[in-house]
Amino acid sequence: MADQSTAKDPEKERRKIKSVSKMKEIMTTYYIEAKTARENGKKVAWITSGGPVEFLIAMDVIPVYPENHGAMIGASKMGVGLCEKAEEMGYSRDLCSYARSDIACSVTDGGPIGGLPRPDFLVCCNNICGTVLKWYEVAARFYNVPLFILDTPFIHTQFSEASRKYVVQQTYEYIAFLEKQCGRKMNFERINEVARLAVQGLRLWQEVLDTAAHKPAPMTAFDAFFHLALIVTLRGTQIAVDYYQQLVAEMRQRIQDGISMVPNEKYRLLWDNLPVWYRTKWLSDKFSSHNACLVGDTYTSAWSGIMDLIDENNFIETGAVAYSSVYINVSLDIMFETLKKLIKKYDVDGLVMHSNRSCKPYSLGQYDLGQMVMRELKIPTLIIEADMVDERSFSESQIETRIDAFMETLKG
Amino acid sequence: MITAGIDIGSITAKAAVLEDGRILGAKVLFTGYNSRQAGQSVLDELIAEIGITKDRIDTIVATGYGRNSVDFADKAITEITCHAAGAHFIDPEVRFIIDIGGQDSKVIRIDENGRVVDFAMNDKCAAGTGRFLEVMARALEVDLDGFGDMSLKGNTPAKISSICTVFAESEVISLISKGEARENIIAGIHESVASRVAALAKRVGVMEPVMMTGGVAKNIGAVRALEFKLETAIRVSPYAQVNGALGAAVLAGRINH
Amino acid sequence: MDALKTLKAAAADPYVYGAAIQAKSGKKVVGNFCTYTLEELIVAAGAVPFRLCGTKEDISLADKHLQSYCCSLVRGGLEDALRGNLSFLAGAVFPHTCDSIQRLSDIWRLNAGFPFHIDVVLPVKLDTPSARTYMIDVLAGCKADLEAALGVQITPERLHHAISLYNDIRGTLGDIYRMRSADPGVISAGDLYHVLKASMIMDRDELLPLLHTLRDELKAGAKTAPSTVGRRVALSGGICNHPDIYTILEECGAQVIWDDLCTGTRYFEGQIEENIVPIEAIANRYITRMICPAKHLSVTARGENLVNLAKVQKADGVIFLFLKFCDPHSFDYPYLKKFLDDAGVPNILLEVEAQLPSDAQLRTRFETFVDMLK
Repeated sequence: MADQSTAKDPEKERRKIKSVSKMKEIMTTYYIEAKTARENGKKVAWITSGGPVEFLIAMDVIPVYPENHGAMIGASKMGVGLCEKAEEMGYSRDLCSYARSDIACSVTDGGPIGGLPRPDFLVCCNNICGTVLKWYEVAARFYNVPLFILDTPFIHTQFSEASRKYVVQQTYEYIAFLEKQCGRKMNFERINEVARLAVQGLRLWQEVLDTAAHKPAPMTAFDAFFHLALIVTLRGTQIAVDYYQQLVAEMRQRIQDGISMVPNEKYRLLWDNLPVWYRTKWLSDKFSSHNACLVGDTYTSAWSGIMDLIDENNFIETGAVAYSSVYINVSLDIMFETLKKLIKKYDVDGLVMHSNRSCKPYSLGQYDLGQMVMRELKIPTLIIEADMVDERSFSESQIETRIDAFMETLKG
Repeated sequence: MITAGIDIGSITAKAAVLEDGRILGAKVLFTGYNSRQAGQSVLDELIAEIGITKDRIDTIVATGYGRNSVDFADKAITEITCHAAGAHFIDPEVRFIIDIGGQDSKVIRIDENGRVVDFAMNDKCAAGTGRFLEVMARALEVDLDGFGDMSLKGNTPAKISSICTVFAESEVISLISKGEARENIIAGIHESVASRVAALAKRVGVMEPVMMTGGVAKNIGAVRALEFKLETAIRVSPYAQVNGALGAAVLAGRINH
Repeated sequence: MDALKTLKAAAADPYVYGAAIQAKSGKKVVGNFCTYTLEELIVAAGAVPFRLCGTKEDISLADKHLQSYCCSLVRGGLEDALRGNLSFLAGAVFPHTCDSIQRLSDIWRLNAGFPFHIDVVLPVKLDTPSARTYMIDVLAGCKADLEAALGVQITPERLHHAISLYNDIRGTLGDIYRMRSADPGVISAGDLYHVLKASMIMDRDELLPLLHTLRDELKAGAKTAPSTVGRRVALSGGICNHPDIYTILEECGAQVIWDDLCTGTRYFEGQIEENIVPIEAIANRYITRMICPAKHLSVTARGENLVNLAKVQKADGVIFLFLKFCDPHSFDYPYLKKFLDDAGVPNILLEVEAQLPSDAQLRTRFETFVDMLK
């Protein structure tokens, strides 16, 4: 065992985000609670990352996110083995790697936490993609549990009145579904309470992300990928609010103390698409070596991006509408408007787009977006072809070459 | 009754002759560019060696890539059905066949009668076929014959992650330049082939006992690597390379004239 | 068999036929990619719905807009549009199908330069009253969009006419399918494929009498297929853009006698009630017709349907046929396979791309499959 005192670089220690340990603690407790739910007389529901979890919290149901599990599988570098298992089961290698690894986990209880707790029921909102519908159908058959689908129509030009009516009607269907599954009536005051906490959490999360607009940035997108977990899994709870309050304070302190995540930030970049979960450190170090900082990204800002559409005093009639408007449920030209705002806000020199094999709604159209960004904002785009969880689709030397070449053009 | 089977592959042509359920002989030749000619030659040479004349053969079945060009055969049957029959003939206990050829690989699940229950083929991609081993042996400047034995000496197989043979070759070359031990690289190469084929096998659903046929079955390294991946012992037919022709000869015996 | 000849000619060169429509009849041509396209509304608007199935060209222009990991229908469709091969289209209608089509719609709208573009965001789930209400609203919106795009009024009379026209077309196609299933010697699978293809692109007023004639000729005993005795096979999947599959399969000893393909029964299954409000009647058909995997009816609807189909049509085996990179079909495949395995129906999978595997490779698979069926 190496001598710890000489191994610790004081500079590196200073740059580390202190709240990380609290976050890990919270997530561990959360998963333990989820895995022991039955013993504590609570129900467990699997829900998609863009689904209205507020109603579950209001019903005291523990929400579990297979996508968050997928991210953990990726970060633990367990994706390949699980994806191979799914392929043995007959699932095409071209399918989403979150779905493949999760489906395999259901059968093997593999992954970093020994598998997810079995769901009592499933809630699937397709605002993020059509894959979740199929994935949750597989889960519904496998676990033989009820499945609720919240169908949020895609927004090509604008959100129609028909769509609004539809998602609001479904919200009532959702409530009825939960009442049936839980065997009791929904507490409507509690919904608005939870909604208030959710919006508060989203505002705080947005404030965290906003701190990276400072030059130099106190945190990077890679940090955001990590700290995102709570707003996804514990949105609507006081825990999430408290944590993000702490995180915002830490970020503001770092700005005051002149602590930047990248020691010598010269180039500011924006990341698009989900992370490459098994290579966040490698990518972070790689860009850092070029004095480049990923100061923002389109993925972590997707949750807070909708908060202004929520009326916390009337969550039932506004919640699903807000969820329908997430970044990837809208057309490319509407995405471009959001992208432009982000580019300007963070004052970036370049766009890094992860062409993620697993996510068609996020990846198809990137080429056009990159072209639009170049045409209107004169900002270049780097495309990194990989996959979020399946490391077989990551070719290190090719990607390294591309990053180096891109940075050379930025510097040149 | 004397029957003959001819298996025209893209690289080699094989023939086998059976008399009343007894193997009289088998032969392997290079196919060349004329499948029909190769079929003719391999059968002619074989029966000359055995010491019988063509008119004594009751039925001929042709199989393999070039089966339809063997116009003097009584019937053409796919190599999958023939490999199934051949493996069953040699070892009736076998329920799963893995055939790794020069340019493709197949897995076949059979029933107690040697009939095909399910199968899968990889004929799109060199990874997981004999070609992959060939390319890598050349890159390492090692004789293909001793390739398998050398792989057994590698205690720590190097990880070769590329999906594609071409990129895998550059990965191997970079491993060489990094000073990785040759035996470990070769072990890694065999593991890579085994990995692809095992994935194909598991998709169909492996059922023991398993038998390996085809040219690559002669490669002890490939056999062991597959045994490791599938966690089962693999039987190798002494007639592995001619198993298709053998099966064709067996099936020829079931054809009524 | 002139009717069949005419149908096959249209199917063989769809873009040539398509380009001639407006000159011949004055009707505009509206491109689409999906069997959830509200063709009845398009016809009621006086236009011709034209089904796109992918390109015969190599992909080069589409590469600028789409990564390689989406299906050949999407990449091919964009390629043809960008190359100008579809300049005869007045516009396109994009019902919401899947993630890839969803993005194709945006990319197409931003780059392909057609005079009009209509998105029809149908519900994905079809099993609730809210979905039905929404579906009807969407239909009304689509009707309005078509009226604006084509500069016409879709009157109730035109709607009724379109509905009865489609009921007749679909009924006739169903009759021909049933005739073939009862006796595969009546019409070859390859010919029937071309009949379906023609039905998805032709001026529907021109199409109907041809279908009637064909059906009557077949009923009267005309045969176009050699009376072969082969195993009976059903195809299950998405689109089939490769007629060779039918002929090669026949040569290997099997007949395709039914399917649940977009280019097959999904196109003509179901009738529209003619005595209720047209928009609602049209909606009812799309809600009750057996779904494709991009829609949700129940978690086992398609599996039950497939097993039942195999039983009713006396299929000896099933070949799964869908495009590489098609997520909805790929996700359903393992469970559909299990349903068939449990029901004792042999099956194999053929994942296809823009180009078929070589003849030899196809024959090896098909012949072996037929051996499995004996």
